[in-house]
Amino acid sequence: MSCGCLDIITTSNADIISTVEFNHTGELLATGDKGGRVVIFQREPECKNEPCSQGEYNVYSTFQSHEPEFDYLKSLEIEEKINKIKWLPQQNAAHSLLSTNDKTIKLWKISERDKRPEGYNLKDEEGKLKDLSTVTSLQVPVLKPMDLMVEVSPRRIFSNGHTYHVNSISVNSDCETYMSADDLRINLWHLAITDRSFNIVDIKPANMEDLTEVITAAEFHPYHCNLFVYSSSKGSLRLCDMRASALCDKHCKLYEEPEDPSNRSFFSEIISSVSDVKFSHSGRYMLTRDYLTVKVWDLNMETKPIETYQVHDYLRSKLCSLYENDCIFDKFECAWNGSDSVIMTGAYNNFFRMFDRNTKRDVTLEASRESSKPRAVLKPRRVCVGGKRRKDDISVDSLDFTKKILHTAWHPTENIIAIAATNNLYIFQDKVNSDMH
Amino acid sequence: MLAKPGKRKFDEHEDGLEGKVVSPTDGPSKVSYTLQRQTIFNISLMKLYNHRPLTEPSLQKTVLINNMLRRIQEELKQEGSLKPVFISTSQSSDPLGDTYQEAQPAFSHLNSQPLQLTDLISTTPLESCLTPASLLEEDTYCTSQIVQQNISSSRLPPPPPPPLVQPVKDSFSSALDEIEELCPSSTSTEAASEAAVHLKDEPVAAGTLKPEGTQENRTSEPKLMDSLPGNFELTTSTGFLTDLTLDDILFSDIDTSMYDFDPCTSNTGAASKMAPDELLKTLSPYSNQPVTPNQPFKMDLTELDHIMEVLVGS
Repeated sequence: MSCGCLDIITTSNADIISTVEFNHTGELLATGDKGGRVVIFQREPECKNEPCSQGEYNVYSTFQSHEPEFDYLKSLEIEEKINKIKWLPQQNAAHSLLSTNDKTIKLWKISERDKRPEGYNLKDEEGKLKDLSTVTSLQVPVLKPMDLMVEVSPRRIFSNGHTYHVNSISVNSDCETYMSADDLRINLWHLAITDRSFNIVDIKPANMEDLTEVITAAEFHPYHCNLFVYSSSKGSLRLCDMRASALCDKHCKLYEEPEDPSNRSFFSEIISSVSDVKFSHSGRYMLTRDYLTVKVWDLNMETKPIETYQVHDYLRSKLCSLYENDCIFDKFECAWNGSDSVIMTGAYNNFFRMFDRNTKRDVTLEASRESSKPRAVLKPRRVCVGGKRRKDDISVDSLDFTKKILHTAWHPTENIIAIAATNNLYIFQDKVNSDMH
Repeated sequence: MLAKPGKRKFDEHEDGLEGKVVSPTDGPSKVSYTLQRQTIFNISLMKLYNHRPLTEPSLQKTVLINNMLRRIQEELKQEGSLKPVFISTSQSSDPLGDTYQEAQPAFSHLNSQPLQLTDLISTTPLESCLTPASLLEEDTYCTSQIVQQNISSSRLPPPPPPPLVQPVKDSFSSALDEIEELCPSSTSTEAASEAAVHLKDEPVAAGTLKPEGTQENRTSEPKLMDSLPGNFELTTSTGFLTDLTLDDILFSDIDTSMYDFDPCTSNTGAASKMAPDELLKTLSPYSNQPVTPNQPFKMDLTELDHIMEVLVGS
């Protein structure tokens, strides 16, 4: 599980990356940032002369997806920060993606143009109408090659669907619908219809004073278009079947692990809150991240996860401080590799963790400018607890909690990962693979 | 020390609670647990009040913090329901005579003897007494409570805009479930048995209140509707104090050391036998701490009262 650094891409200071997402082929990688921008990277085609230069990602297109808004009814600012990006399966030459901030989801079309028509009868080259008296003959317009241009255009704007903050969007396997989840509701949309959505989950109590639980993430099953899962702030997962009823308030399966009495503390509930849920590519398993662990659930077993991995258990004794400085509310994401055999998730101090499900080995790696020069191989890092400290170990007390890796993505088929560390995007590639090329 | 809230201390606490029946020798761990709980409680309150203006706070975070407060509150209530003495002093804790504090005046009006009150509390230990009236207008769960709250609010001027912290005090049923999960069974049985003892002493107390209250209920209804509590959607704009001098008034004459206070109460094994000024001490370290400039500490008088309710209510 050693990784070589492929690329470091730095954006400007104001733009803290807030989401990272590969498209279905892995050819494109999109990031969203706090400033409402979406940046799309494209993988360079393989170059036969220089095998080393294969696979670098370069900026393909940048566009402003969301602008800051103001809710005059509530006197509240609506941030432009991109919460999630999801690619639609490619249907034609163009690519499409959904991007969302707290309230509004937008469908964008990204298309290439390398030719332009020339020789119109009624328009001149600047597009102005010609004086009709000068038109004496008919000509056929021709397409002339030009420099490649990437055009991004907004196709749909799905607004007014959410009262609370949108935390997840997920495109259905039927490729026609998608869902969007906020703190209390999940809506089902048709990709072509913007003025109507169906509420499929609503956990808002009649009296908001009774509210003790919120939806934290939601995702469609990769194959079964009727199934979706959503996670809650109490650490449970609910699998819903849309065939059962129009409103899926009653889950068909509830995945929940009984609390370990030996680990009970004031913070038990907060650290059990699920920050991310992802179906495996096979559709058989679900991966969840809570504050201290990642868990793999079998869809067929509701009572407990089949695997639990400690991400940074050494923080268990520091929960009070982490509560005080709000870190305990950080929403770490998690990711599967292409074959569902390795899982990855972020941590503090620019560390991220990988767990091999077969060998049960795990590794801590660091995404930093110093340690990951292009082509350098990442060294595993180790956080030591207590007295014994080996060389290169870092002690728990010197971890930097402002450097957190919340957003990670794994290439759908290859061992390429994208790591967002505040305003830097790191792209790493598995060493074995890159050696083979 | 505060940074280590881990399981160990909680376990110690449980041991302490159970051990208390046998012998009150569990001083130090009980102290640190109480101290830690108080710290977390204060931090939680701060978190609810301090968020960037004009931005909607994360609902998830608010809910989690609320659940934390609820949990601590229920713990305090449970401990409080074991010990009867505090109530007679309740009103003195309110030097400015703020109108928001409805529940406690109600008790002092309705009950001349503190003992009667404890009967009420003991018979309904978990859904106990100090919920603001504004929260209860739809709550048919416990009629005797509504009665008391309504009476008090009809006697008093309309309450000020509800503070953020109100969501803490509600949903008794869920809190009840939580308590059952959280507390060792020995504690609750202890509470129940003690409650039963009091019930035998004065079985009439709770019953006599009801008819009186139902009459009052109707008259006070409109006022209650006016004082509907801020729900999560409204929380952003309320609860900020423009005038900080209230804090100064409230805390100017308060000793800050809760370290003095905690050991003595725990050594006597009566954590809730507190005079109100002692209770204030438990709050004061937080409010007297130097405040970071970018996070000014703003606490409304009503919110302070609420804390008082929580603590006195225990």
